Amino acid sequence: MYLKELTELDGVSGDEGRVRDFIKEKIESKVDSVKVDVLGNLIAFKKGTKSNRKFVLAAHMDEVGFMVTNVEDDGTLSFAPVGGVDPRVIVGKHVRIKGEVPGVIGYKAIHLQKRNEILESPKYENLRINIGASSKDEATQKVEIGDYVSFATDFRCENSRATGKAFDDRAGCAVLMEIIERSERFEDDLYFAFLVQEETGLRGSAVLFEQLQPNLALVIEGTTAGDDPGLPEHQWATHLGDGPAITFMHRGYVVNKKIYESILQVAQKYDIKHQPKRRTAGGTDAARLAKTGGGVPAGVISVPARYIHSPLSVIDVDDFKNTVSLVGKILEEGEGFAR
Amino acid sequence: MLKCLSGVDGPSGYEDEALKLIEEKIKPYADVLKTSRLNTLIALKRGEGTKKLGIFAHVDELGFVVAKVEERGFIRLEPIGGVDPKVVLSQRIKIFTKQGVVSGVVGFLPPHLQKEDQRGKVPSFDDIFVDVSCSSLGEHVSVGDICVIEGECTELGSKVSGKALDNRASCAALILAAQNLQAIKNRADVYFIFSSQEEIAGPGAVSVAYELGLDEAIVVDVTHGNEKIPQFPQIKISEGPALAVGPVINREFYKALSDVAKRNGVKVQLEPTPGRSGTDTDEVQITGSGIKTALVSIPLMYMHTPVEVADPRDIEETARLIALASTI
Amino acid sequence: MIDLIKELTESYGPSGREEEVQKVVLKHLEGHIDGHRFDPLGNLLVWKKGKSDKKVLLDAHIDEIGLVVTNIDDKGFLRIEPVGGVSPYTYVGHRVRFPKATGVVYYEGETPEEQKKNLSNLTFDHLFVDIGACDRKEAESIVPIGTFGVYDSYFYENGKYLVSKSMDDRIGCAVLVEVFKNLKDPRHTVIGSFSVQEEIGLVGASVAAYDFSPLLCVAVDVTDSADYPKGLKRHAMALGKGPAIKIKDRASISHRKVVELLEQAAQKAGVPYQKEVLTFGGTNAAVLQRTKEGIPSATLSIPTRYVHSPSETVSLNDVEGAVKLLVSFIDLELEL
Repeated sequence: MYLKELTELDGVSGDEGRVRDFIKEKIESKVDSVKVDVLGNLIAFKKGTKSNRKFVLAAHMDEVGFMVTNVEDDGTLSFAPVGGVDPRVIVGKHVRIKGEVPGVIGYKAIHLQKRNEILESPKYENLRINIGASSKDEATQKVEIGDYVSFATDFRCENSRATGKAFDDRAGCAVLMEIIERSERFEDDLYFAFLVQEETGLRGSAVLFEQLQPNLALVIEGTTAGDDPGLPEHQWATHLGDGPAITFMHRGYVVNKKIYESILQVAQKYDIKHQPKRRTAGGTDAARLAKTGGGVPAGVISVPARYIHSPLSVIDVDDFKNTVSLVGKILEEGEGFAR
Repeated sequence: MLKCLSGVDGPSGYEDEALKLIEEKIKPYADVLKTSRLNTLIALKRGEGTKKLGIFAHVDELGFVVAKVEERGFIRLEPIGGVDPKVVLSQRIKIFTKQGVVSGVVGFLPPHLQKEDQRGKVPSFDDIFVDVSCSSLGEHVSVGDICVIEGECTELGSKVSGKALDNRASCAALILAAQNLQAIKNRADVYFIFSSQEEIAGPGAVSVAYELGLDEAIVVDVTHGNEKIPQFPQIKISEGPALAVGPVINREFYKALSDVAKRNGVKVQLEPTPGRSGTDTDEVQITGSGIKTALVSIPLMYMHTPVEVADPRDIEETARLIALASTI
Repeated sequence: MIDLIKELTESYGPSGREEEVQKVVLKHLEGHIDGHRFDPLGNLLVWKKGKSDKKVLLDAHIDEIGLVVTNIDDKGFLRIEPVGGVSPYTYVGHRVRFPKATGVVYYEGETPEEQKKNLSNLTFDHLFVDIGACDRKEAESIVPIGTFGVYDSYFYENGKYLVSKSMDDRIGCAVLVEVFKNLKDPRHTVIGSFSVQEEIGLVGASVAAYDFSPLLCVAVDVTDSADYPKGLKRHAMALGKGPAIKIKDRASISHRKVVELLEQAAQKAGVPYQKEVLTFGGTNAAVLQRTKEGIPSATLSIPTRYVHSPSETVSLNDVEGAVKLLVSFIDLELEL
């Protein structure tokens, strides 16, 4: 399981190199070929025994984070979000700039805030990253405008729950890597697409069609849970521990009926714990795949994750394992899947 | 040249006049000229064929379309692109009807007749109207007619002010760059692309990027000059073009441009772009199998008003930079 | 044509679940087309060969707005989310039709104050559906999570107007069907795309033209007819004045030359028409024009009152005008 290594790497949208290099090194010897395209997507190929269909398994490598937008005279860094990060969750956190320079996001001490300020949302324009530099010159020796910033959160696993950052979507990357570990060949030609820039608008997946002309795709995600005291039960999106979540519709795309129903059938046939994803908010690369080129119908299977798009999220390790089993069984079905 | 380019009218989807002018200007420097089906002009300057470099500038400007004709010579407008309603008040509007150009006036209620709750409030396009009773062709205005704000291009000291400098300033830079390529030898095949419909996020640029199968693309557009935007560095007029960095930009291509600028003493500024750039770059990057993109922006004040201000020296520096890019 | 409109609008076809409507379309097109196929996304593509080598693609989206079941509670009540741009208000006290059941939609509120508050800021989180089930298990067996529903609403003639759910855009589908019926020996090859998933983001049409590379595309869709009391004051469209040739909406500007050709076609056929500037919305033309190296595209609209409600209202006169206009259009030389 590569969850620890993958989630502890930094790879904000547009800066996926570290994640890509890690995955490439681990999988290169286990597939027929790998390539990196113009946008930075890593595409691995494994030939099928029948090769009548091109089947893409996709997961995105990027995570939400920040970009350094200015170096201030006092040596602190101004920054802006890359992807959707709520400014309320970032105060008092450790960050890493371009995977190496440590920093913190501080905030005015509570003593100095007016009573009404304490519950006010911080604004990006008032937040700074402190890297311990005391002047602009000192800071610019270590960082420059345009550098990417990630949360510095370590991975932990206990009580069959894993905590860390970037499960959205390193969980998906880890699922793909588990599948690649399996030595057998499946009926369809398989393309494992580790994609860039999902969080900034489903961008990496936009260039797959012209390169591969796939027949179908499965997008593996880390998706919202919401099963916490903040919401009534009927508004939860997924439940941790109930197995992989299968999407019937999300923003901008109704999942191809045949694919959706086939995923359910495979899960039922092999008695793999699973759940429908119960909300339609949020989008995945499936929406982009559907709309590019001649159209790629895609399904979406997700590892439920609480508190995503924050420095600290939680998944259930059994959900992850069940996702791997489900995707594996789908591939074993070969051409019978979504026929 | 800038005055000429600013003076010609060409709102999104109706760029023909502007394209005609640009075609004339760039013709002497191009090996091949072509207009795409979606009204984008392509001028090819052949090189050694090492790669295909597309240099994009959108040619369209903001405008309006007549949405409704009311009784007694009043009309309602729908903006084409992001128009600030404040800017429209008390302007002369040119309306292109089938019978000819109608000049209309955007009216505004004088203080004497304003009700208490109207004071200090800016009317939206639902409340803005154009009076065409003052034009002999006024009765011929009909739904669907295209309009622009009348604007004159003037010199303000060393700067130039006028409408549509977004993005005719960049069009001028491309024409100058094509001229520069008579002296500098370009290695890449360079396609100067004057694209349509950027202001409404239309298909002008992407369709051509796909058709040409480009390896690299430089999008030339304008950016806010002399504005202090919180947490961002200030881009200054007269300090040269701004090079963007961010997810929509290919990092190596940016570095190559930045290096070539440094080696040749082209002054450039740096513009961090954490999300979308709001230019054609965003879509061009993810066209086809993906294209390596860079974004070069000319600093401009008062963007999307009829009195945009730019410094011609920034335009010349931009031209130099993009001409040099074709030697990489 | 009225029977065709009735059959099409009363069919069940929310975004992603369009098969039933596509069958109706195919049934009516039998004998009038040279071939058809379904593309990978499920768009129904039909064609009739012409004498020239030019290809024209006409598009109408076949899906309609709807609801989807996202949760079921212990007592068998359903929770729902919208499919496409649905106002929660149109559903209060109204009925939703699922493939195997019909349900009543209502809103929650434990005190009169809360009811009032919920009703004035209504969201789908406040709505639930009662399908008469006694518990979760029974409900799940009839409408499992992920089941799609549509307005339970029927076609009728209201004076000289036609009223139904899903005029958006079955009326466009009806126009396309009638056009194909009227093409005896067409000058150009005509491709009809009955596109899926328009209401949730112009999905189907994004890829429908990919294999054909037509010379131009015309999307046939509905537009807001604001000719009712205090309708949007910047909209000029009205029922009964003929089909509307779109100049602009929020998603695209119609290709200038295609607009001119549509006007020519109308004049040639003697069909009165309107020009349309819509201050919001978008049609499949916005994505058709972005296909590959770009396809000049425009929209021909049927003015429609109360769009996205269970009672979308059109004038038969405009619909018939659209058919005549398009038939005349296909007979033009079509030089761009």
